Amino acid sequence: MPIAPKPHSALLIVGHGSTENPDSSNPYFDHADEIRRRGLFAEVHCCFWKEEPSMREALYMIDSPDVYVVPDFISEGYFTQEVIPRELRLNGPSTSVEGKTLHYCLPVGVHPSMTGLILRRAREVAPEVDPSQATLVITGHGTGLNQNSTKAIRDQVDQIIASGAGYAHVTDAYMEEAPFIAEWDRLSATPTVIVVPFFIADGLHSYQDIPVLLGIETETGPAASQREVFRHNPHHLRDKTLYYSSAIGAERLIADVILDQVRDFDLAHRSAAAV
Amino acid sequence: MSIASQLHDLVRNGIRRIGEIEILTGLHDHAYVLCHYLDAERAADEGFGGLAVHTGAADARALSIHAADGSFRFIKAQVNLKRGWVLVLTDDEELRLALDHFYPAAVGLELARRKGVLEVEHLRDKLNRQTGMYRYARTISDEGAQQLVEQVCGPAHNCARRILWQLDADTPLEDNEASRYNGIVGDLGESHAIPLLCREACNHFVAECRKAAKREFDAKQARQEADG
Ligand code: SF4
Repeated sequence: MPIAPKPHSALLIVGHGSTENPDSSNPYFDHADEIRRRGLFAEVHCCFWKEEPSMREALYMIDSPDVYVVPDFISEGYFTQEVIPRELRLNGPSTSVEGKTLHYCLPVGVHPSMTGLILRRAREVAPEVDPSQATLVITGHGTGLNQNSTKAIRDQVDQIIASGAGYAHVTDAYMEEAPFIAEWDRLSATPTVIVVPFFIADGLHSYQDIPVLLGIETETGPAASQREVFRHNPHHLRDKTLYYSSAIGAERLIADVILDQVRDFDLAHRSAAAV
Repeated sequence: MSIASQLHDLVRNGIRRIGEIEILTGLHDHAYVLCHYLDAERAADEGFGGLAVHTGAADARALSIHAADGSFRFIKAQVNLKRGWVLVLTDDEELRLALDHFYPAAVGLELARRKGVLEVEHLRDKLNRQTGMYRYARTISDEGAQQLVEQVCGPAHNCARRILWQLDADTPLEDNEASRYNGIVGDLGESHAIPLLCREACNHFVAECRKAAKREFDAKQARQEADG
């Protein structure tokens, strides 16, 4: 269901950003441009933890008294539960801050519509592949600060299996915990394998680290191979045919998931009149 | 009044620069043309003096990402904006959007400052709310923090922001080139430029505080060991 226009509200997309990789914030701006083009909000902005504007500064860019804050993160965790509420001074679903009301939506990655996006990505990257003959691997970082991101990937695997998409096999795999993505060939019973990285943006993990673990890049390969790495599908190695997709968060349709989170916020927290 | 219309008024009333950006009006019939301030004369020539012509606010982001030497400008107030281009914009809203790409939130910060509603966060408050690995930054001494301002901020260290914060409400920054800097690039007065403002120390400064605090701790330990 498309969302009704909100001519008196602003949309603020919150991203992580990077001080090292200028490409990592592209998706946020692309999603913002896409939503701006649709004219649904009075204004659409981005803000970041590692780049500018900071979350605190971002409020000074906004005219509208009503602001939907959507974290463009893959799961709940340190950023969505600690950093963003602290920086934006949020104390509940809706908070009054400096004369504005901020509505804090759930992160993009936990929305059920992500499942459809993964399936679409998999079809796009391997259009000629019959799912019943292929293994779909959803991969992420694993361990570290945030156990929720591992859970988010497991949930996606369950949902894809339940969706009846017809893949012979669907599994999760991680860079730093078992099942290891480096063992993708052993994790996959079929000769054809499709790997979709469950990250919010393409960065060193999807450009370089995972390609090295998969065996399609060498350790010494420059990080600058960047998007090139996604252009050489399929790869023939370890006696299998491997298709490797760019990060799910770079998908253009994430803009729709952002809007889905706004709509779900309204359904959960605002009266029908306000929606 | 929206930020875009307030910006419109500022420009009508003589504002023509923000950071390294020159805002040209009425040039070759375009609502607004932006360029590097050192290219402003050339841009006024026929055919923009041969500068590469870009259109639309989205290009502002592309132009602001890398410095001429290819380095990533993750702090947008770095004084190393690329030259050699003009950006043609059609209206106030596009101007606002473009300037927010070049200098995120800078226009809104200045408007808030003019109205007296800009909330400044002093360094101690900023450091005290750090969590995770940056929690340690709060142990930096006042002396160490004052030194860092001189070593990290200001145009000499590639940052064109005017520092509004103090160490805390009672402790102003010591006077030096960085703390004195007015946030205006080039030789222009307040009535012609929107200053770039630093209302709270940036992540880079916080990271430097953490490193300095660690050095202070190590030095103290070494002294204690030497004293035996
Ligand atoms: S703390 Fe402010 S003035 Fe200092 S480097 Fe960071 S942004 Fe520039």
